[in-house]
Amino acid sequence: MKDNHLYVLMAVTFFMCVILPATGIADVPREEIYQVGVLKPVDSTLKVKVGDAAPEFTLRAVSGGTVSLKDYIGKKNIMISFVPAAWTPVCSDQWPGYNLAREEFEQLDTVVIGISADNIPTLYAWTHTMGTLWFPVLSDFWPHGKTAEAYGVLRTDGTAERAIFIIDKKGIIRTIDVHDINKRPPLEGIMGELEKLNR
Amino acid sequence: MKKALLSSTLIFLLVTPIFGAVHLGNVIEKVNLPIPADPADRSYLGLGQKAGQFSLGDIDADIVIVEIFSMYCPHCQRHAPTANKLFEIIEADKKTRGRVKLIGIGVGNSAYEVKFFKKKYSIPFPLFDDGNSLILNKLTGIKTPTYFGLKKTGKTMEAFSIDQGPYDDPGAFLEDIIRKSGDSL
Repeated sequence: MKDNHLYVLMAVTFFMCVILPATGIADVPREEIYQVGVLKPVDSTLKVKVGDAAPEFTLRAVSGGTVSLKDYIGKKNIMISFVPAAWTPVCSDQWPGYNLAREEFEQLDTVVIGISADNIPTLYAWTHTMGTLWFPVLSDFWPHGKTAEAYGVLRTDGTAERAIFIIDKKGIIRTIDVHDINKRPPLEGIMGELEKLNR
Repeated sequence: MKKALLSSTLIFLLVTPIFGAVHLGNVIEKVNLPIPADPADRSYLGLGQKAGQFSLGDIDADIVIVEIFSMYCPHCQRHAPTANKLFEIIEADKKTRGRVKLIGIGVGNSAYEVKFFKKKYSIPFPLFDDGNSLILNKLTGIKTPTYFGLKKTGKTMEAFSIDQGPYDDPGAFLEDIIRKSGDSL
């Protein structure tokens, strides 16, 4: 019987110490982040194209009140950053970069608008871990994903794509990047497109 | 059976962090980086050639501290001035200047993003990009920032410490790294 215990001990220890680390499960976890795995890169069909007028929206903001696209038309270039979901790996490492680049966005006369289909309390808790964001974060929770759907970036699971829309001061879409959801759009691509608007 | 499970769990809890740290240390020891274009960075690292790649063992130092960061990581952003202070402390003390070197690797960051981060915080030590995420993919689950301490053994560097998360006191952090290296400097 003692021998049986020894074998069980060896087997379980081997599994926990060798198999689990090999799968990455036992690596240092980023405790707060939900690991989504690798997803289908794009799971929606665009409903707008470059040169179209950007679909209008009014959404609730994490900071309170509502924000509409028309608030900025005629005043600023607009970069809409749709992200799939709060508390997920790539999304959590995207807006803090735009936060750091505030000065550069402002030099290019551009406001960033962050949109996700999460509800306000979730977005509130999540974005507060990023420090103080200088740009509005809007909830497309209800009617669920209506704005993402209007742009054609609502995925079949109800999350938004990781998509960038750059809209000029006349409200015309100038750049669309429905990015691979598993990857972050590089900053240089965004800045390069915004610089084109200011030439 | 209960005893076996309990024992296994205890062993697991004790050895897993060690395995994880050893794995990450092994990865970082083998990292090759491009020789910096900036002559000041090449001079700081003691690299003669102007192009190609170098291994951490090529750096002219007894101890190398490698900061793993990301431009997109709020902790790294907040911690950048403290990392700069660490560099200042190293360079200001004749016991550590030239013997302890500091570099940063922006995991998953493009060259543009690393350059942006360096400029934003006036970072005086060499930073390297990881635009194709090759290093990030090998450092599975690593937090940013993470600091590796490596010491020269022959022509290679051996990782002797890993500190995950930011530190508050750069002077105390440096002392701790030197102590863990086993080198009195």
